[in-house]
Amino acid sequence: MTVVAPRRGTMLRDPWLVVVARNSLAIAAGLIFLAPFVFVLLMSLMTSDQALTSNLWPTSWHPENFVDIFTKLPMLDYLVNTMTYALLATGFMLLSSVPAAYALAKLRWRGSTATFVVIICMMMLPPQVVTVPLYLMWSNAGLTGTLWPLILPMLVGDAFSIFLLRQFLMTIPDAVLDAARIDGCSEWQVLLRVVVPMARPGIAATAIFQFFYAWNDYYGPLLYTSEEQSNWTLSIALSQFKHLHHVEWNLVMAATLIVMLPVLIVFFFAQKAFVQGVTLTGVKG
Amino acid sequence: MIRRPTLIAAAALLFAAACAPGTNANQDIAPAGQEAKGTVEFWHFFTDREAKAIDTAIAKFEKDHPDIDVKVTAGQDDAKMLQAISSGKGPDVGLSYSTDIVGKFCASDAWRDLTPYLKRDKVDLEQFPETVRSYTSYQGKRCAMPFLADVYGLYFNKNLLAQAGYAAPPKTMTELADMAKKLTKRAPDGTIDTAGFLPLLNFYEHTPQHTAPAWNAQWLTMDERSAIGTDPNWAAMLKWHKDLVDWYGYDNLQKFTAGLGDEWSADNAFQQGKLAMAIDGEYRVAFLHDQAPGIDFGTAPLPVADDQADRYGAGFVTGNVAGISANSENPEAAWELIRYLTTETDSVVGLANSIKNVPTTKDALASDELEADEQFQTFLDIFANPNTSTTPPNASGPKYVEMTQEFVNGYLSGSSTDLGGGLKDLDGRIDQALDLGR
Amino acid sequence: MTSVLAVRESTVDARRPVRRRAPRRWRHRLTVLSFMAPALIGIAVFFIYPLFAAIYFSFTKFDLLTTPEWVGTRNYVYLFTHDPVAWQAARNTLWFVVVLVPARMIAALLTAMLLTSLKRGGGFFRTIFYLPALAPPVAATIAFVFLFNPATGPVNGFLSLLGIDGPLWFDSPDWSKPSLVLLGTWAVGDLMVIFLAALLDVPKPLYEAASIDGANGWQRFRHITLPALSPVLVFAAVTGVIQTLQYFTQAAVAASVASGTATTGGGVSSTFGYPEQSTLTYPLHLYVSGFRYYDMGYANALAVVLFVVAFAVTLVLLRRFRAFTGGAR
Repeated sequence: MTVVAPRRGTMLRDPWLVVVARNSLAIAAGLIFLAPFVFVLLMSLMTSDQALTSNLWPTSWHPENFVDIFTKLPMLDYLVNTMTYALLATGFMLLSSVPAAYALAKLRWRGSTATFVVIICMMMLPPQVVTVPLYLMWSNAGLTGTLWPLILPMLVGDAFSIFLLRQFLMTIPDAVLDAARIDGCSEWQVLLRVVVPMARPGIAATAIFQFFYAWNDYYGPLLYTSEEQSNWTLSIALSQFKHLHHVEWNLVMAATLIVMLPVLIVFFFAQKAFVQGVTLTGVKG
Repeated sequence: MIRRPTLIAAAALLFAAACAPGTNANQDIAPAGQEAKGTVEFWHFFTDREAKAIDTAIAKFEKDHPDIDVKVTAGQDDAKMLQAISSGKGPDVGLSYSTDIVGKFCASDAWRDLTPYLKRDKVDLEQFPETVRSYTSYQGKRCAMPFLADVYGLYFNKNLLAQAGYAAPPKTMTELADMAKKLTKRAPDGTIDTAGFLPLLNFYEHTPQHTAPAWNAQWLTMDERSAIGTDPNWAAMLKWHKDLVDWYGYDNLQKFTAGLGDEWSADNAFQQGKLAMAIDGEYRVAFLHDQAPGIDFGTAPLPVADDQADRYGAGFVTGNVAGISANSENPEAAWELIRYLTTETDSVVGLANSIKNVPTTKDALASDELEADEQFQTFLDIFANPNTSTTPPNASGPKYVEMTQEFVNGYLSGSSTDLGGGLKDLDGRIDQALDLGR
Repeated sequence: MTSVLAVRESTVDARRPVRRRAPRRWRHRLTVLSFMAPALIGIAVFFIYPLFAAIYFSFTKFDLLTTPEWVGTRNYVYLFTHDPVAWQAARNTLWFVVVLVPARMIAALLTAMLLTSLKRGGGFFRTIFYLPALAPPVAATIAFVFLFNPATGPVNGFLSLLGIDGPLWFDSPDWSKPSLVLLGTWAVGDLMVIFLAALLDVPKPLYEAASIDGANGWQRFRHITLPALSPVLVFAAVTGVIQTLQYFTQAAVAASVASGTATTGGGVSSTFGYPEQSTLTYPLHLYVSGFRYYDMGYANALAVVLFVVAFAVTLVLLRRFRAFTGGAR
């Protein structure tokens, strides 16, 4: 995937005014997109009092705020909870969804189209439609107040991930698979020894999506962990800041950055897989 | 493919399993004289300083009852308690912030009926004022004990009042409006610098329920139907607020409140001297002493409607309430804890002193140990006033109050202008909503 | 795992002579089952069952503490005739569908086109433009509410420098939804990247040929760019509508942070919809009905209506989507 706009033909040369206008527009847009981040960063380094005023530039610098959020609040617990949820959900998703996606993409069986249609319907279903019955189910199982109602369902597949993986797997040429089958591989061996290595970027992209979906999830933890503070994830903790202690907004902003950090780190390291994944959902459909 | 019958069977099983929420209440109680022992899980909603006060009281309880071990969890609200009880994991003893939940918990047996315990241990219910007794039971079932009460009155900044030439707080609503206007300082561009009184009804403790008793505005009739549309006092109360909101300018008020500090922090607007007068609960006395010693403040009952001058001294009371979960595994010890916290005079007085809330037993109120400076005494007097009232309990929890709140917000902001019609419409809607839960 | 299945294979083989019918088909079906089993269970347990359960419960009344009691159509009667909040919530959600989806698509298209027109630094700017989409929604919403605070926020501060009296943004019933739209378009990076890829796929010679033929910028856009982008635009519209029908997090967090009311005992859900139900989306209303007021039967009625609407939208869009499900079939 090219990341830089390819050069135009030499026949058409834009007047320099247009070039300047375009670049200024880009710079202006860039500033607007970045401004909130800068704002959050500045606020995270101020004192609590100044955070309530309209003074944007910190009069005194307090990098210890980042340490404070871990000491004043069980921030580490929330971090661990969120990380656990995201990692387990992603791991379980891969276990259940990769085989299913393969079956839908590369195996021929009666009912595969119908099943795929059902999967698409599941993707389109607003989660709030099934919230109450599912909540009751988990309540009877005694698992409300924990993150398990969010993690365990990943063991039985995630609709969006199955969809995405299927699209990726369909790009693998059948010839390769047939060759493996002829060599005597069972389907599982084909999947594990041939397909998975080839589809690594796609699987990685799907895994990243699932990870961030869990990391950013607000609705799920709100439903299931609100009642048990020790199981809160970062998203709940951030939004509930003001109901816990008297609010120190500079700390909230520092916490906000901490919540953003893993996402930004993963992005910078996995940029290619990221962009590829995002693109493939849209372009190849 | 999975066989269809298997699927249906599995579905049916899950259906049956998930179909029935509910509690299992075991109502047998031990005979009198037995020593309770074991572990008691205790949930409450307090945080910070007030949570520490609870811990001290619990420590004393454990000393007096060495066989009982109490596990305390702070910061738990009604929703959490309800969810926990419904999934069978409720605490032995739960302390609720307000009386909203009493109707629902009593009607559904989420909290046990305490009558057998009260009879067995011969607890004197006359210790509690009539209003307090009314908000801890519902339709004859007593499932809660009053813990401490919150009483609401008027706080005023003596310095700011003196600067404008006032020596005493307002006693009628007209006086309040006049004083509010004179005490307001504006910046050159018209925005509010210091407000005399904030007439919004969704700000801090300025809410319809805290203000209604000052106007003798009734919420529900005896048979739990809405009285808001038919009681003329509501229209009078809302019109008074609207007039004052218009004088300030609604947008100005919104801008002003957006820049104010969090109610429970040291940046509380009254504690920062940004409000000359405010409605707040008796607990604010302790906060002021603690966080804003520079503010010279006075307390008084809320002003009353002009034509109800003889009702001056009444106010709004709500209480923290405590109950035993239906699924409690150690109800005897749980009851022992509740009985101790809510009826033992020493304990009640001790808690009242440390949390600075109003004690709910007559003995505690009369006790010499009760610390009540002049400012706090105001609230004790309001509590004892026979006209002091609360929001009536019902099985749908806070719904009718919140629906009213929404209407009031819309009316004060100018979104809806038909007061009479709007109130009647609200009446109908509240009745419908209450019916939904019946 | 592979070894276990290898054993299974050989067992079937050994039994082969005994079976009468075509064993290969059954073996194949078994294989497929082994791949699909978890997903099929998931579909049954987390989709089919709760859907039917929701429909059943919508005819009952219960809260978490009582058992469901059949009340017939009472919940639906209430929904359609006595609950103005439900209609307000539906209007709010539809407002977002009609405004937020196109706004994001236009913003994504414009930024993508801007990126393609840059000769240098395209990659750098692309990263910058994409960053906001990475910000976790809760964090981004909190930051935005702060930025747009009518009294102390820098946005109104900046506007006042220009002599403009800024609106109340998240505290105004008229501006709260537009403020959320601003938040949504700020985080448009994910959509932008898709549009960018599609734009880059358009062959440059097409544009050049058109220019030579005398087509101006707008004509080139209308006749080359848009048609080439059409599948991606459809995709963006489809996913946009579906996501917006479920719009929950940002509206909830914005209301809760902007309202500033202390709710020591009340919990966060008492602030949803602030100000004046303007940010109460339909899913939020569902949540509040079920998990604040515990009218769970009624919440299920709301859920069924939401399902019907989402299903109708899905049906309409599945026709278009059929192109996507095809592939190598």
